[in-house]
Amino acid sequence: MFLLALKMLLGDRAKYWMLVGGLAFSSLLMTQQYSVFQGLLSWTTSHMRNMRASIWIVEARVDQVNETKAMRDTDVNRVRSVEGVDFAVPLFQGVLKARAQDGSDKMIQMIGLHSGTLYGRPPRMIAGDITQLRLPNAVIIDTVAAEVNRLGAGMGRPLRIGDAFEINDREARVVGICETERHFFGYPYVFSSYDQALQYAPRQRKMLSMILAEPKPGLNEADVAQRIMKETGLRAFTVPQLEKSTLKWVWANTGIPISFLTTIILGFVVGVAVCGQTFYSFVLENLRNLGALKAMGASNMLLAGMLLLQSMTVGLIGFGIGIGMTALFGLTIAKSGQPPFLMDAAFVFEALAAVLLICALAALFGIRRVAKLEPAIVFRG
Amino acid sequence: MILFKRISVWLALLGVGAVVLLLRGQNAKVPNPGPVSEPPRSPYARTVASTGLIEASRENVKIAAPREGLVKRVFVKVGTAVKAGDPLFQLDDREVQARIRLLQAQVQSLRSQSAVDEALIADLDDQSKRFTRLGREQVATEDEVKRREYSLATAKARAKATLSATAAAEEAVRQASTDLDILTVRAPRDGYLLQVNLREGESAANKSSSESLMLLGDVDTYQVRAEVDEQDAVLIGGESPAVASLKGHSDLRMPLRFVRIEPYVVPKRSLTGDSLERVDTRVLQIVYAFDRPAFPVYVGQQVDVFIQRPQTEPAKKL
Repeated sequence: MFLLALKMLLGDRAKYWMLVGGLAFSSLLMTQQYSVFQGLLSWTTSHMRNMRASIWIVEARVDQVNETKAMRDTDVNRVRSVEGVDFAVPLFQGVLKARAQDGSDKMIQMIGLHSGTLYGRPPRMIAGDITQLRLPNAVIIDTVAAEVNRLGAGMGRPLRIGDAFEINDREARVVGICETERHFFGYPYVFSSYDQALQYAPRQRKMLSMILAEPKPGLNEADVAQRIMKETGLRAFTVPQLEKSTLKWVWANTGIPISFLTTIILGFVVGVAVCGQTFYSFVLENLRNLGALKAMGASNMLLAGMLLLQSMTVGLIGFGIGIGMTALFGLTIAKSGQPPFLMDAAFVFEALAAVLLICALAALFGIRRVAKLEPAIVFRG
Repeated sequence: MILFKRISVWLALLGVGAVVLLLRGQNAKVPNPGPVSEPPRSPYARTVASTGLIEASRENVKIAAPREGLVKRVFVKVGTAVKAGDPLFQLDDREVQARIRLLQAQVQSLRSQSAVDEALIADLDDQSKRFTRLGREQVATEDEVKRREYSLATAKARAKATLSATAAAEEAVRQASTDLDILTVRAPRDGYLLQVNLREGESAANKSSSESLMLLGDVDTYQVRAEVDEQDAVLIGGESPAVASLKGHSDLRMPLRFVRIEPYVVPKRSLTGDSLERVDTRVLQIVYAFDRPAFPVYVGQQVDVFIQRPQTEPAKKL
């Protein structure tokens, strides 16, 4: 009987493709937009993946990782004095203007790492030795900074180890190249030692942007962060807390989430509209056959089951094709990193649930029609 | 199964495969690379962290000359380790030596005079005794007897005067010897000669205050001036033990001995050296001493200092 239902579905090629296509398009729209949205949001927290630390300590009024309100130098020692802190190091973070070889100004994201430990250093080095950051005027740039249209301007080629550029009229010599995750602001990362970064940055009364800390082994990060806040009056985040706080800030202060959500909802609505109408007209066309089955004694439950099977089949196939297209899109742009793209495994299942909901809704219209159907219709006209 | 005859099903399965591939690629996380060197860690469970500078343990001694004079000998070189009392340099002593020789000759002459005096006294004593006997026998006159007695008394008094003069002359010799000793300048305490600005043949005039003849310092023990944020000052509990580690080499640790807490809280020294700098942080300075470790340390180096925090919290009063 269910085989018959599938035959009925596949027999009508035009409607079948219309249903699959509509659902595929709807899933593509939802998952691709959501992935781009996720990717864009992940750019706002890329600091936390380019500089690794368990606890991030910032000034008391800082809500998100890209914001800097300077602290006093001695605050590092105050954090070190908190019980449960294994070690803590200072970090400078700021957007500075660099001058490439051809004289053009480029904005850079300057990161100053603690000179002794270089804690928070970029995880992926492509060339060079990170410890050379301790040399005078040494910097490590990321692959984006090295590009010809960034700091490589005027060189005719990407920057290499040994090349130099200027930051605030001071020489910066490249001693290494690393790979970083792109930042929301789009500025390339330039790493130097903390002391050196203070020389590069315009002088201010307070220069310490952040403190990176690790809890003693066996202690809970969140507990230690809580204790740091209590004892120093600064704000301490674990990585998930800071991510959450940053994303909350993005939701509250930018229109990005609303615009993406609108597109995702539209995808859902288009799916419902296309699929619902097409399936309903498919049911109407096959009303005679269904009536015949009913006349032969098929119960309403059985018929409903058949319709559900049909709609779920197109749903699964359409979703598979749609999400496949999203994945292909993601795989294609993975190298360039533009536009941002981050597929969320949980959302794949949420989108599947949404698509199956669309199909269930579509089937519901048909089932209502079939349930009211008089078997006698077969014998009329 | 009729479904598998359809290309759409295979497309859908392919799509699911692509998703798995993408998610696996995305989830490949690079682990935290960790610190490149040992980070400054506290050896204590409860600590007050601070930073400090290495200083020489006591003020350096500028060695001075007792008087002006020509330098005869220099006994030390830069870097010589000396003990308290060791000679450092000697001024020209010819004049004093000559004076000593003269005074010694005077002593000698006075001693000869004493011998003459004794001989004279013996003679007069003998005469006096004989005339006294002759006087009793009415042979000599009373005048003759008295004359001999007075001669003897005069000779005795003269001999006494000569002895006093000898003692005075001997004292003068001792004084001259002291003068000689003063010309040799000795180390006032143990230490190392950090500077020697003196050569034989030069005049040891005391130079201006900025320059010294010799600079004696102590580099066996150093001290660390640890600066604690004033907000943490309350956590310092008297003579707490502490540990310092060199900046950038936190595995090189030096145990510290408490010396004192500077009772006056000072503005934080900023190492940028900008004179226009405004300071909003004041720090409590705590001085610790430590012996010269096995690895080289230099005066002026920065260190991370961890001070043990006492078990009991300071009492909170309202």
